[in-house]
Amino acid sequence: MPIMEAQKYVWEGAIPLQIHLHESEVTTFPPPPPALILAPRIGYLPLLIALIKPYFSSALPPGVDTLWFDYKGLPLKWYTPTGVLFDLLCAEPERPWNLTVHFRGYPANILIPCEGEDAVKWSFINSLKEAAYIINGNCKNIMNMSQSDQVELWCSVMNGNVEAYQRVSSKLKLGTVEDEYFVKPQQGTCETDTIGQVKTGRIPIRLYVCSVSEDFDDLEDVPKVDSWDKISFINRPVEIHKEEGKYLTLHDAIEALLPEYFSEKSLIESPSQEGEDKNNISPEDAGDSKAEEVVNVCNDLEASCTSNAEIKLIRIQGIEPKLKIPFSWVVNNLMNPDYFLHICLYVKVANLNTT
Amino acid sequence: MATESASPARKVVVHFRATGGAPILKQAKFKISGTDKFAKVIDFLCRHLGRETLFVYVNSAFSPNPDELVIDLYNNFGFDGKLVVNYACSMAWG
Repeated sequence: MPIMEAQKYVWEGAIPLQIHLHESEVTTFPPPPPALILAPRIGYLPLLIALIKPYFSSALPPGVDTLWFDYKGLPLKWYTPTGVLFDLLCAEPERPWNLTVHFRGYPANILIPCEGEDAVKWSFINSLKEAAYIINGNCKNIMNMSQSDQVELWCSVMNGNVEAYQRVSSKLKLGTVEDEYFVKPQQGTCETDTIGQVKTGRIPIRLYVCSVSEDFDDLEDVPKVDSWDKISFINRPVEIHKEEGKYLTLHDAIEALLPEYFSEKSLIESPSQEGEDKNNISPEDAGDSKAEEVVNVCNDLEASCTSNAEIKLIRIQGIEPKLKIPFSWVVNNLMNPDYFLHICLYVKVANLNTT
Repeated sequence: MATESASPARKVVVHFRATGGAPILKQAKFKISGTDKFAKVIDFLCRHLGRETLFVYVNSAFSPNPDELVIDLYNNFGFDGKLVVNYACSMAWG
């Protein structure tokens, strides 16, 4: 399979970081200047240690190093790709991105331990296995990988070598979906013989949703994420059914992923539940409650309609794709090396308390 | 694989299975809220077995990301109405 242009951009994508040593760990005067480093988007922060440590080692107090980072006080999850962290936490992209590095005082209550590169590699391989399980229903292809292939695959990710990655990953038989965008119309005649859905593809997705209650027009006004509790992590596959003359858009995929925000089903379900609750009303009120019920149902319907969520910002690999583009293009071009498509989403949900 | 997606609010039956000589739990099945993260499952096992670290897997296959919701794991990888979670004291499946 040829390497696509967009995929190349994804692999070459990097974020300029300005890394400051946390003041509590500075033992020298003057304090060490911040380190300026280009961090690959598909990489992971702990992998930068070889570049960062020489900058700060002479300033550190005695003790054992356990590396971690924070952005404006929020400890950063080391197993999330650097590009995803940036897209999620910097709605208004900040360049360079000012991060604080720590070598002491690991926040074990917030972050799971990270024992260097091996832990990151282990996490990456597990993510790959999980994706394979979603695509194929098992992860034998990853488990049966030769040691040398596994090393080569990991090195290709660490070094941002897309050619080497493609060489090894093609052996994993994790077929990506056909790009409907390029399907030629004349092929249609032979394909329709199989009637309806020709092929179903399950796409592994990691969705990071930040719900905001207030509208914003300017990216500068996007509320700051100061706790991981404000982010919903959603891991659901999207199924692509191939149908003649139709394609799934990015918008369709987001709606399918978030039925609790976008499904019309919830509009029908919530009033009927309300109705059931009404059964508890004592018999003497029953006459009036019938009429009341209808009014309530109408109100509920209206409330759920106005509560419909609105996608305020979507970021995948640093870009804001149009919601009308074919989802298969997004998958084939913007997927991370772990075969997951990581999507950052800011969703505006109207306040329901008004009724 | 679970055929129909369950809503996040429901409880998920997690079936714990020891692997590679790890101590066996007296009770193997627990109900865990679907809105809990997998990190809570790991934490629960570590506390019950009095261990600092454990290797925790789903379906003897892979170790999920600690942020993943139990309900998503159940919907994606559960079968027979439960989610099978294997645990080991050393790495069982690389």
